[in-house]
Amino acid sequence: MLKMIVCMKQVPMVTELPWDTRTGTLKRELAEGMMNPACKHALEAALRLKHEHDGHITAITMGPPMAEEILHEAIAMGADRCLMLCDKKMAGADTLVTSYTLARAIEIFCPDFDLILCGCYTSDSETAQVGPQLAEELDIPVIAYAEDCTVNEETITIKRVSDNFLETLQMNMPGLITLTTQNFAPRYTPIAGLQDAFDEPNILTVSADDLGLDEEIIGLAGSPTKILEVYSPTAQKNNIVMKGAPKKIVEELLERFDDRIGSVIRKDLKVVS
Amino acid sequence: MVFNPCMKHKLVRRTVRDFAEAELGPIAHEIDREARFPWEVIEKMRPLNFFGLQVPRKYGGADIDSISYAITIEEISRVSGAVGLCITVHNSVGIYPILRFGTDEQKQLYLPKLARGEYIGAFCLTEANAGSDASGVETHAVIDGDDYIINGTKIFVTNGGVCSLPLIFAITDPDASSKNASVFIVESSMPGYSVGEIEDLCGMRANPVSSLFLEDCRVPKENLLGRPGDGTKIGLCALDTGRIGIGAQAVGIAQAAFESSVKYSKERQQFKKPISSFQTIQNMLADMATEIDAARLLVYRVCALKDAGKPFSKEAAMAKLYCSGAASRITSQAVQIHGGYGYSKEYDVERYFRDAKVTEIYEGTSEIQRMVISRTVLTEPM
Repeated sequence: MLKMIVCMKQVPMVTELPWDTRTGTLKRELAEGMMNPACKHALEAALRLKHEHDGHITAITMGPPMAEEILHEAIAMGADRCLMLCDKKMAGADTLVTSYTLARAIEIFCPDFDLILCGCYTSDSETAQVGPQLAEELDIPVIAYAEDCTVNEETITIKRVSDNFLETLQMNMPGLITLTTQNFAPRYTPIAGLQDAFDEPNILTVSADDLGLDEEIIGLAGSPTKILEVYSPTAQKNNIVMKGAPKKIVEELLERFDDRIGSVIRKDLKVVS
Repeated sequence: MVFNPCMKHKLVRRTVRDFAEAELGPIAHEIDREARFPWEVIEKMRPLNFFGLQVPRKYGGADIDSISYAITIEEISRVSGAVGLCITVHNSVGIYPILRFGTDEQKQLYLPKLARGEYIGAFCLTEANAGSDASGVETHAVIDGDDYIINGTKIFVTNGGVCSLPLIFAITDPDASSKNASVFIVESSMPGYSVGEIEDLCGMRANPVSSLFLEDCRVPKENLLGRPGDGTKIGLCALDTGRIGIGAQAVGIAQAAFESSVKYSKERQQFKKPISSFQTIQNMLADMATEIDAARLLVYRVCALKDAGKPFSKEAAMAKLYCSGAASRITSQAVQIHGGYGYSKEYDVERYFRDAKVTEIYEGTSEIQRMVISRTVLTEPM
């Protein structure tokens, strides 16, 4: 049996959320949550491997109580059991402490895993750090940004695009991969699955005490990273309306933007004209 | 009393919305224009339990609660009223009578096929001279050996062009003073059954509404639903549940019109300002939002009563009456906010406007809902 763990995060459904400039965090309460898209693709990859290799999937998330929703969704899609790391002491964790906390939970509750799958990054912070850091914590090999994967007994083969090259890599298991959203489009959740996921939710809620973790080393207190400043980038696009006869407009367009147009069509427009 | 949606209901909404936006969103405009039933999407809806929403698990359904059901209909209708119509009619008036009044054999035989969407259901009461007045049914069924022979014409049958298992109301005892109809489970493959032309309707155009012809249609005796003369009882009971779905459908259409109006009013510039900055538009949006909220709560209240096993006829009629009226008003205001573009077929709001109107007509007109409500109001203790 292929024993898999899928790490997932609940992210706000809208991208343009107001920031709390005082704390430097998102005002998450203003948005509905959803399963981070890349995590959902990772779950889909795990579900397909489960089907091919008689697998078992444990979905794990760390977050506030409302994040449990994505674990119900994971069960509805086909995950077998879930761990919900939920404790006020864990709040405000940076990526390093998140990875540390996840690793301790995995060591205690599912130590005999073959493969951990993560989304390559989350849509709300895009650090792409938790997956690789988790592998480091667990002292297992990792391949990030996988687009495709196949499992053969004790190894996993992945394909990924790196610097415009298509790489095929093989890794021994147990190991960790992070997946992009390129492939593994998530399946639709059947309505009956949703009902089951709430009727018989196989979700274990885990506290900091359950993990034997002191509050000084987890959450905001234990996080070495501090956000100093958060700001919205200034708009980089503006619309320009050109008026006049077509010939004149085209000439003006070429004159003003020859460099930029030229770089897109890969021609030196100054030479052409 | 809890007014916040629970985690399950939130997830049901998001799941159905994701599906509807991805699969129906790109074609909703086109299937309305071409009056085409989207079989390709129906195919995808079958394994996801959309055809057996409240059918018990033992018959292959999802067996979800009524609020989840209403949310599902709302979210499909938010994208395509016509497909929402197919699903709600199939699940409520198409399936519920069999679930409630069917024999074990009838349930075993038909519910799994209906729940899988292999059979699409329909409810056939309306005739040239019958509709609001159920006693006007002229279709009749006569016993012939082990069968009934049914003759008559049904009109304006929702799902008519695609249904495989319509429930047909027919008179079995024309001499009885009360002239109560009976209900028959008819398979579309039975001899003497045929489908008329698809109606060219103002709205809900992607739903193949049609006439059905029964010409010496031979139906086995065991396909009688309930007892002879149970038609009124079955019909009223079915329509009570049907009204939940139509209420939810109206909320979904109104929601779509509202969202479109908010977006457009922020984009449309007049007098060098977005029109959303004008109080007159703000007032319209405020009224729309309030009406949608009230409508939605009325629907969820009926659902809660139904699931608690309490009577809900009056509340279902109230929800249907209010939601359909609100949908008509809101979609009309949406057209107004969109101005000339709203009146153009290029924009979706005119479709919402056309689709909303019929929610005031089918499954009991608003006038009939008022009749149902006032009867209770006048007889209930104050």
